[in-house]
Amino acid sequence: MTATVQPGSGAPSACPSPAARVRSGAARVAAPVGVALVAVTGAALLGAVNPHQPGHYPTCPFLWLTGLYCPGCGSLRAVHDLVHLDLAGAWSMNPFLVLVLPALLAAWVAWLRRAATGAARRRVLPAWTIWTILALVLAYWVARNVPALAPWLAP
Amino acid sequence: MSQPNDPQEPFSLDKSGPAEPAQPYGATPPSDPAPYGSTPDPTYPSAPAYGSAPYGADPATPGGVPGYPAAPGYPTAPPPGPGYGYGSPPPQNYLVWAILSTVLCCLPLGVASIVFAAQVNGKWAAGDVQGAQESARKAKTFAIWSAAVTLVLGLGYAALMIAGVIASDSSSM
Repeated sequence: MTATVQPGSGAPSACPSPAARVRSGAARVAAPVGVALVAVTGAALLGAVNPHQPGHYPTCPFLWLTGLYCPGCGSLRAVHDLVHLDLAGAWSMNPFLVLVLPALLAAWVAWLRRAATGAARRRVLPAWTIWTILALVLAYWVARNVPALAPWLAP
Repeated sequence: MSQPNDPQEPFSLDKSGPAEPAQPYGATPPSDPAPYGSTPDPTYPSAPAYGSAPYGADPATPGGVPGYPAAPGYPTAPPPGPGYGYGSPPPQNYLVWAILSTVLCCLPLGVASIVFAAQVNGKWAAGDVQGAQESARKAKTFAIWSAAVTLVLGLGYAALMIAGVIASDSSSM
């Protein structure tokens, strides 16, 4: 994603003092670990309480207001299916989520490594890749609501 | 696109700058007795493939992205402005949170966050440090708002359901 840490690549001038690294390392690792705990808790809840059954979770507000699907519709059901190792089911609910999940995991690993080593973010994605992501998201948003494509893209 | 571990052009001696401190796989010491009886082969001049600055040593970009001097896709960081010490790292663009809120929050906030994330990187690549930080601040604000709105909607729904106001009839998130 945005930054892939290259261990050992830090310029000598970019390294904080050893004392500062030790002091900040334990505290800064708390954030990625905390996020992971929240994510695992959420996934466990979704695995236990089935979002395929009505009434367990709120309806997507965008769908409720407009009657149209948004890029996130089906995400809860997709996570539930993934917790139960049903990749095909998850894909049928929200393929975008399934595609983006590995990237999110990689970003989390990079974040954890950065936090643990105290290394600075060094790599910047070219802006056009993010604009491409935006265009894909918007196209996906529209395509989900096209009846001809609904069998593949709609939840 | 150049990867950090791509083999470097072995004969581009001009790129292995004179300041390169160590050449771990090359430049056998002059006292080496040449154990196989041959004079040092001139066609392999000190094998700079693994020592030729894989992460840069490009003095022109002291605080930037020194490992990618030749790749057009990875812009070098702008020159460090006043008050940024040895060259500040690029600002956080919160792209992950933007995508998370797009996937999980069902609101246009996530899409706006992606716009700001792209602005952060674009302005940073153009050398506009302050503009990048301003976009980063907006991206952070939108990420927080997405999380807050989602939390409020979820808790509100739970409260209404517990109160019995909402009939359990739908699930389409």
